[in-house]
Amino acid sequence: MDFALTDEQRMFQKMFADFAEKEVKPIGEHTDHEEEPPLEVLQKAAMQGFMGALFPEECSGACLDFVSYVMLLEELAKADITTAMTISVHNGLAGKTILDFGSAEQREKYLEPMAFGEMIGAFALTEPAAGSDAAALESTALRDGGDYVLNGNKIWVSNGGIAGLFVVFAKTDPGAGARGISAFIVERDTPGFKVGRREKTLGLRGLTVTPLYMADCRVPAANLLGEEGKGFKIALQALDVARLSLSAIALGACQRALDEGVAFSIEHIQFGGPIALKQAIQNFVADSAAEIEGLRWLVYHTAWLAAQGEPFSHEAAIAKLLASEAAYRIANRMVQVHGGYGYMKEYAIERIYRDVRALPIIEGANEVLRFVIARDLYDQVGLKIRP
Amino acid sequence: MRIIVPIRQILDPRGFTVSPRHERIFINREEYIINPNDKNALEVALSLKDAGEAEVIVIAGGQARLDDALREAMAMGADAAYLLTDEVLAKTDAAGVAEALARGIEKIGDFDLIVVGQETLDTADAQLGPWLAEYLGVAQVGGVRQASISDGVLRVRRNWGAGYAEVEVALPALLTVASGANKPRYPHGGRIMAAYREWQVITWNSEDLGLTAADLAPLTQGRGRAFPPERTLGERLTGSPQDVAAELVQQLRLRRII
Amino acid sequence: MDFTFPKEYELFRRMVREFAENEVRPLAKKVDAEHRVPFETIKKAAKLGLMGVPFPRKYGGSGAGETGYCILMEELGKVCTSTATVIGAHTGIGAMAIYLDGTEEQKEKYLKPLASGEKIAAFALTEAQAGSDAAAIKTRAVRDGDYYVLNGSKCFITNGDIADIITVMAVTDPSLGARGGVTAFIVEKGFPGFSIGTLENKMGIRGSSTAELIFEDCRVPKENVLGQFGAGFITFMKTLDIGRASLAAACLGGAQAAMEGAMRWAAVRSQFGVPIAQKQSVHFAIADMATEIEALRSLVYRTAWLIDTGQPHVKEAAMCKVYGSEVASRCINRALQIFGGMGYSREFWVERAFRDARIAEIFEGTSEIQRIVIASNLFREMGLRISP
Repeated sequence: MDFALTDEQRMFQKMFADFAEKEVKPIGEHTDHEEEPPLEVLQKAAMQGFMGALFPEECSGACLDFVSYVMLLEELAKADITTAMTISVHNGLAGKTILDFGSAEQREKYLEPMAFGEMIGAFALTEPAAGSDAAALESTALRDGGDYVLNGNKIWVSNGGIAGLFVVFAKTDPGAGARGISAFIVERDTPGFKVGRREKTLGLRGLTVTPLYMADCRVPAANLLGEEGKGFKIALQALDVARLSLSAIALGACQRALDEGVAFSIEHIQFGGPIALKQAIQNFVADSAAEIEGLRWLVYHTAWLAAQGEPFSHEAAIAKLLASEAAYRIANRMVQVHGGYGYMKEYAIERIYRDVRALPIIEGANEVLRFVIARDLYDQVGLKIRP
Repeated sequence: MRIIVPIRQILDPRGFTVSPRHERIFINREEYIINPNDKNALEVALSLKDAGEAEVIVIAGGQARLDDALREAMAMGADAAYLLTDEVLAKTDAAGVAEALARGIEKIGDFDLIVVGQETLDTADAQLGPWLAEYLGVAQVGGVRQASISDGVLRVRRNWGAGYAEVEVALPALLTVASGANKPRYPHGGRIMAAYREWQVITWNSEDLGLTAADLAPLTQGRGRAFPPERTLGERLTGSPQDVAAELVQQLRLRRII
Repeated sequence: MDFTFPKEYELFRRMVREFAENEVRPLAKKVDAEHRVPFETIKKAAKLGLMGVPFPRKYGGSGAGETGYCILMEELGKVCTSTATVIGAHTGIGAMAIYLDGTEEQKEKYLKPLASGEKIAAFALTEAQAGSDAAAIKTRAVRDGDYYVLNGSKCFITNGDIADIITVMAVTDPSLGARGGVTAFIVEKGFPGFSIGTLENKMGIRGSSTAELIFEDCRVPKENVLGQFGAGFITFMKTLDIGRASLAAACLGGAQAAMEGAMRWAAVRSQFGVPIAQKQSVHFAIADMATEIEALRSLVYRTAWLIDTGQPHVKEAAMCKVYGSEVASRCINRALQIFGGMGYSREFWVERAFRDARIAEIFEGTSEIQRIVIASNLFREMGLRISP
């Protein structure tokens, strides 16, 4: 057992924190209010190597280990959750998937522009009738000569508005259930591929969430990601990374919410003194700090497992479940600490509260994660359960 | 000017569902509301009252629960309410109710105008208006949408084919108001409270109306009920928009619709 | 014991429900998106006596008491929290203060046009550093002949910028603190020295306006002192007590609508081959919601009955507020979770309900203050005074 960060990790952490504080935190309000994606920050992040955080050096990546990577997301989320989500989808769901499953040509073609921030990545799995239930996908990709022809619709694609490439899942064998799913790299300007109107959302307003429409969209066979029929496995692994990433974002959000609440409780005077002197406020703060401390080590441990190449799917589900609910709970408490001010857009906690409400829903609704966790446990004793 | 509006009550359609498959009506919530078309009639009467000097009296005959309908009508703006009820009246049919209402209206007396909803939503019963006009010996205008009064002359806009006709009517008269002729006003909050707490509904029984059980014996007899056959879905056209449009036109021509 | 509603309340509820469905719901999304007050609804509501539901008919109200007023708030809470907030701030606290402690002349002059909805009321207690802590009020009122001269500012005042008549709390004797040193005044928007400051940009209830009010040598005639001189604290405590019960009624409506909406969605949304209404997670969420809603309904209407029958109700009103606001938030949050991604989208009412619900735990005394009120009442019953 050794819980100490390496010197390198400590150095990284400081660098992430500086970047987040200086470049990301100031744009949070603007990103939310104007509903603009943080494009400038993405360019600055690329200069730091954060847009290819997990890529090897030959692809111009920063080659971060997983623990450092979750620290990056944590620091970004402390500054602005929307920006952290944008970078996480790009690096984890899109970039890491291509890195792990892509051919040498695909890696060469796509990872470097991604690392330079010239091409933003997105991930398109969810469909109107298939969210957490991936086997119910209706999109199809049928082989036609040297191409695959994609048809179908996707919804809730994060980064949809700004992405240059999409990892898209469709059925190459529509009769085969989960085993008929394959993954493709689809470039934005492919004929027949259309990005729909942005969703208006409660929070994460700078994250461009869009539907995708594919009508006889021809994708060269060279863009098949991994093997045909292995898409489900790719999706599951990508979701494991996504859940771990999301738990780190939730952790950062928790910390920021608490920081905002503590700062406010010192400034705000009621009944003759700062409200920080009231036990009700102290309880809010103490409960939140205790939860955050527990979460931090859960998230880091899961990242450490991933870094060791150990299975971390079960832990990632647990981390996402706990962290996303803690983020909502803590943000909610800190709105309460702010009182009327917490309801006003002048205060960051108002935005954080709306932003974090997405976390228990996205990358596997928590109801589904509960099922996944329970299924893993029952599996060990030989009982198969169904959702 | 005295305007009398008869009020009927129906089971709230939002409180039950009809299942043709089971040939049954499932009542989830037994609540009665004013027959919507009678509210249209009341609205015509109340708008005449708004425009000038008029007294609006509502009257209902049948079961004791009509009391609620009359109070709601008062809350909407009616000035007085009469309820004709007892055991005999509660059991009679639409014809019996019509006769009782005619007697009740005579007993109230001095009316200038009677405004009736054209039909009931539940049993599509449209006989009350003609029946009352006949019994009371007054002119009747059907399909009414609007009415206004000036210099003692009633001007009525009524449905006429695909359009409207404007007619002038001498008083006393009876109007049957088309369903959906207007958007009836909501009852007023304060009047709702007063309707139950302060105001009275005057109740007459069959004896007060000079009617016996024999007079009110139902003319109609229920023999059971049947459900219309379930409709099947039409033909579904598929193909490109051009093909579907061409096919649709073809089919409509074949059926001599266009 | 009789838990049935008298018939007049049944009819009143039916009327209000139809009004809410037909007149209020169609505007709910629009006023939120456009960040504006639904004046057209207010006009229609006024015609039906809905701007003065609890006040006696002789003042132009509906005479439906707190019970009727709670029914109104519940039905409005189901469709549009903003509209409930505008009418609530007007009736439940703004006009209510005048009804509770006004003289006959004041009621004639101010309550009548308010109850009939010709004029709009607001209630101004909160200041930047004095919300729940009334002793910290800084707005001063100093006697000058037949006038009082008010100086200071109020913040977070619902209806502040649209109100014609505002009940304002100001310090008349700083040496006496909250009890004895604060007086309530009726201020007309046209009084010299009164102006509107900044308007707040809020997370939710965006169809209601929240304003800062500024008093700069604002001259208020001495006959506009509301209630006993120096007893403003009592006036606003009495007013807020009543406001809390009706606010909980709006929360009740919001919770109920969220549950029903979630059930309808669960019945049509399929995952893993079955409607999610077949999933136990959904069953339990719905069952928990229904149970809390039922408990809240009983609490709200019993408290309304206490108020209507003139019985002590301070503790119960505070319980209504804390429980009602938290039940509403919990239910709407659970409903949002059942809606999943759809619930996070602004195309859909759940997202608005979620933002709207959050304020109920904060305004008119935060949940923490309600807990203090409840605890201090309970301890007082056993003879112990506690301080916040």
